[in-house]
Amino acid sequence: MALLDVRDLSIRYEPKQRPAVDAVDQLSFSIDEGEFVGLIGESGSGKTTVGMAVLRLLQRPGRISGGSITFDGTDIAHLSQDELRKYRWREISTVFQSSMNALNPVTRVEAQFADVIQCHTQLRGGEVTERIRTLFDMVLIDPKFMTAFPHELSGGMRQRINLALALAIGPRFVVLDEPTTGLDVVVQHSILENVRRLQAELGFAVLFISHDLGTVLDLSDRTMVMYAGKLAEEQATRQLLRDPLHPYTKGLLGSYGDPRAETVRITYVPGRPPDLAHRPDGCAFAARCPERIDRCAEIEPARTEAGEGLVACHVAAIQRGADGSGIEVGPPIRTFAGPQFVKSAAASAEAARGLPLVTVDDVSKTYVRRQGLRAVRTEAVSGANFVLHRGGVTALVGQSGSGKSTLARMITGVDAPTAGRITFHGSDGDQVVARMRGRRLRSYRGSVQMVFQDPYSALNPTKTLGATLARPLINFQQLHGSKLRERVIELLETVALSPGERFVNRYPHELSGGQRQRVVIARALAVEPELIVADEPISSLDVSIRAEVLELFDKLVHERNVGILYITHDLLSARMLCDEVVVLNEGKVVEQGPALDVIRSPQDDCTRLLLDAIPNPFAAARS
Amino acid sequence: MRYFARKIGFFVLTLWAVVTLNFLIPRLQPGDPAELMVQNLAGKNAQLNRAQVEAMRDLLGAPSGSLFSQYWSYLGQLAHGDLGISYTYFPYTVAEVIGKAFWWTVILVGAVQLLSFAIGILLGAFAAWRRNSRFDTSVTVISTFVGTLQPFWIALLLIYGLGYGLGWFPTAGGYEASTPGFNGAFLYDALSHAFLPALTLMIVTPIGWILGMRNTMIMNLGEDYIRLARAKGLPDRMIALRYAARNALLPSVAGFALALGGILGGTILVESVFDYPGLGRLMGEAVGIKDYPLLQGLMLLTAVATLVANLIADLLYGVLDPRARRAAA
Amino acid sequence: MSTVATETVTAPAVADRWYRVVWSSKKARVGIVVVAIYTLVALLAPVIAPYGPTDGSFTPLTGPSAQHLLGTNVAGVDVFSQVIYGSRVSLIVGLLGGLLATAIALVIGMVSGYAEGTFVDDVLTFLTNTALVIPVLPLIITLVAYSDTRGIPLIVGVIAFTSWAGAARSKRAQIITLRNRDFVTAAKFSGDGTFRIIFSEILPNMTSLVAAAFVGAATGAIGAEAGLAVLGLGSSDSVSWGTILYQADAAGAISQGLFVWVFVPGLVLAILITSMAFIIFGIDLLSNPHLRED
Repeated sequence: MALLDVRDLSIRYEPKQRPAVDAVDQLSFSIDEGEFVGLIGESGSGKTTVGMAVLRLLQRPGRISGGSITFDGTDIAHLSQDELRKYRWREISTVFQSSMNALNPVTRVEAQFADVIQCHTQLRGGEVTERIRTLFDMVLIDPKFMTAFPHELSGGMRQRINLALALAIGPRFVVLDEPTTGLDVVVQHSILENVRRLQAELGFAVLFISHDLGTVLDLSDRTMVMYAGKLAEEQATRQLLRDPLHPYTKGLLGSYGDPRAETVRITYVPGRPPDLAHRPDGCAFAARCPERIDRCAEIEPARTEAGEGLVACHVAAIQRGADGSGIEVGPPIRTFAGPQFVKSAAASAEAARGLPLVTVDDVSKTYVRRQGLRAVRTEAVSGANFVLHRGGVTALVGQSGSGKSTLARMITGVDAPTAGRITFHGSDGDQVVARMRGRRLRSYRGSVQMVFQDPYSALNPTKTLGATLARPLINFQQLHGSKLRERVIELLETVALSPGERFVNRYPHELSGGQRQRVVIARALAVEPELIVADEPISSLDVSIRAEVLELFDKLVHERNVGILYITHDLLSARMLCDEVVVLNEGKVVEQGPALDVIRSPQDDCTRLLLDAIPNPFAAARS
Repeated sequence: MRYFARKIGFFVLTLWAVVTLNFLIPRLQPGDPAELMVQNLAGKNAQLNRAQVEAMRDLLGAPSGSLFSQYWSYLGQLAHGDLGISYTYFPYTVAEVIGKAFWWTVILVGAVQLLSFAIGILLGAFAAWRRNSRFDTSVTVISTFVGTLQPFWIALLLIYGLGYGLGWFPTAGGYEASTPGFNGAFLYDALSHAFLPALTLMIVTPIGWILGMRNTMIMNLGEDYIRLARAKGLPDRMIALRYAARNALLPSVAGFALALGGILGGTILVESVFDYPGLGRLMGEAVGIKDYPLLQGLMLLTAVATLVANLIADLLYGVLDPRARRAAA
Repeated sequence: MSTVATETVTAPAVADRWYRVVWSSKKARVGIVVVAIYTLVALLAPVIAPYGPTDGSFTPLTGPSAQHLLGTNVAGVDVFSQVIYGSRVSLIVGLLGGLLATAIALVIGMVSGYAEGTFVDDVLTFLTNTALVIPVLPLIITLVAYSDTRGIPLIVGVIAFTSWAGAARSKRAQIITLRNRDFVTAAKFSGDGTFRIIFSEILPNMTSLVAAAFVGAATGAIGAEAGLAVLGLGSSDSVSWGTILYQADAAGAISQGLFVWVFVPGLVLAILITSMAFIIFGIDLLSNPHLRED
């Protein structure tokens, strides 16, 4: 008998002012004792809602509207909070997504272990402290931090402590809900290693919820893929890698690639998920699906056994002979037959070496923070040397805190270097970039623009796209009236938001993340800059649409001869987009060179660490 | 420690600002403040009495001289606790007059403030915890309505109902037949006189705490650490007190002193209506008969009292919230 | 290759028009209707009131009757007519006091928030915190007591200049969070100036906060005016509800059993202030979605 058995679980959100939404629709799955199961889905797929339901922590207006959740033989879906208490933490525990807020900010960490240990076990006094010490050892944190307050710990430490807390009384089942999202890649990697080791040692079962296919596939025995509130596919992880059934799974898998390969192809899923309040007839994925047949738009596919897994897709069912309708479809394909972005080694190698655009010459930046009477110096960047080329793309790669954002601030003229010199070789002659003000800064921004990490925060929610794009045109090119409008529409179409007329009067919240990011890029293009600094422009987007934005950048470079400084922690996207790579570690440039050379034969440990941190589902499949 | 030093520094600076403001207000008007005051006192068309004007100058602290030298001697007088001489209670000094009324108000307001804080926090926390229950709805609706009532109006209604109508409580003054002092008769007398003013204030003042606490508590209940505490299977009481209320209490503590300023305002009106012998009535009186030295003294005193309360609340906050100490460090 | 790459723009998923959100709250609906009625009464006072507010031609100190619904005062003026005309003072003081206080709060809060961490911010923050801890009513009383002629402009001015601090502080906090959003940096890159960024980029994002602050300030101003008038410091050239209470208290209305004289002015004041508090409830739904799901 399975440890956890979820049958036909439906979860409904019923807000007062808006139509009700079935966030999760008749979901069934089970998890065995000691099994590590991954649940993957993108934003809005309902994966976190499933986790909350299993923990019985759904909050209004959400509620379980149907089905059962059987844990160890008992249906816990409808138990009262008092009846649930004997399952909580002793049997089922969890690590939440946000490491910031999961710990009570006003009490010491120790007390937050002690209360739950004393609540569920017979341990008291010194035994409790001893237990906490053991738990800290398990997650490799010095027990001296027991008496710390949460805000005194780093994000990674907090999340390790949350993990220790989840294991405090040896549960049989742990829900990990995006446990490492938002943390530095290398830190993520080491925490997940830790999870895997502990799971093997202690033998608890895990439901691992994440948007990150790479880590899920890396860790899980079995993987479930969720789309629009339903399970699209469920297979043993190895099998899923070898033979993905659902086109959406193929789309997700297609977003990954090996940056070391001769030719890297990454696909993307165009469009966006359906609005769950108006669920389309037929398959929810049909509108974005390259393999769809007529039937997909009319009849909702049922979950069928196909091959060695379960899938909810007509085409896959027919292909695997699980459907007797006799409709003609082609043979199964392993890849996503949608749009893709391809980069070959040859293309990377022959990248044009333009003239220098920005020279960074021995640049250092030291921040001085006053702390009482002492001055605390932080060296953010020290002695950095590199050159950006006109019409070329350079990646600035490093972990968080490596100084890459500081360098970006200096190159965009927001901050001045404390030593060294940054020279911009613009079309109006050379100028030294330091902390600029007023007219000089303004004119510099006619040449150097920026694309931000989070497209949700980079667009003013109260302004239409037209109004946002008009500002740089009015300020730098003095356009007005119909000319202005024409140019705005032209910009929208440049970034593939066409026809532009349909987007001019839209507000940002009406767009998907990828569409927003394209508007941000359009705004940067408005002044026809010579350099665009893009700060992690795809890291906050859903994986399945990242390549779409990368491809747009690539197109701009080729068509407009604009130079790009691409700041990232992700060497795969660097390989796809960039001609050159500069690797930063603790403020120092540790390695630089042509993208392919750096990625294929890394010289520095830091580069190798970053390469290892790239989630690579296929590596797991090969082994 | 830096947090505490900063707060004390702020206290000293605001104290200076208040003292200076108090010095400037009467001098903001054009012309000789002394002459103006005498004119005000005597009536619009009366002949100015030079002797009175001179006396007034004496009272104001600096017979003549530059603004700066006036300021200097004003500070000097303040340092000796000299607030001038009251017109109304001549020849008593302002300090003496205030001293007599002081304890009446301090005891009334202090008791009301502490009691309403406790009641408000408890009711607010409980309403939030049992959100949307009948208890919550009635507390919220009643609070919203009662909170908008003007204290002086409640005072008038209470006088009408409990004072004249039922005759249960005296409607005016602080005591009647007994001799002030520490004896049973006087205490009983004083308490029964204080009852209606206290009741009036007790109707209004807990409201802010109730609604404030309820709001922050509801916000806190949506936080991850509360959900995690639930997932931990801790008893509800522990989640409500140690996790939710403990965090929700912080803004209320921070707002403690500000609320005191509000009560003081209400007290002026309520004491005037009840003829209660405290600072509030004194202020009402001073306004009515234009006893400017007394008015200034009272203004200064209430401001300083609020500043001190604010300092205490800030220091307490620093103890309660570990993040505050660090943020300033 | 790309077969399905059509761009779609779906119906707004988050767009709740602000008026619909406010109107969705039952409390806010009641509040808006009541305030609208008060406004009508104030505008139509000469039509509604049976007599002039200063017409002292009746028998003084009579109880309620068909001619004088609320009786007459010491000077022989019809109290009901006074109450009707009194709505004008309250609404004007509320409107102007609210506007002025909000404007001051807005300027100080926004400048200090935008200049966070600079000397300007330090000075303005200090000013705000000081104004916040000084008890308002005693300060207002002291200021008003010094002036001999007390018109409505003076009262409005004094109230506004003493009660902006709380709103300024919350605006500063809000602007600091908004200022660090990327769209503000993006506006700088688009060549917009500081002034434009504050008023065109940031301000539209805090309208609900500003609206709530305005209603709050108006409520405070109405209450403060009533308090002043009760102490006899009301406007000397018009009658407000506070003035009526002052006259009633001075005439010993309660000991004479003229209960309605005290009861009605206080009640109409309380209803007005409650309705305004209800409106704030509705506006709060805009800025705090936590409260939206009841």
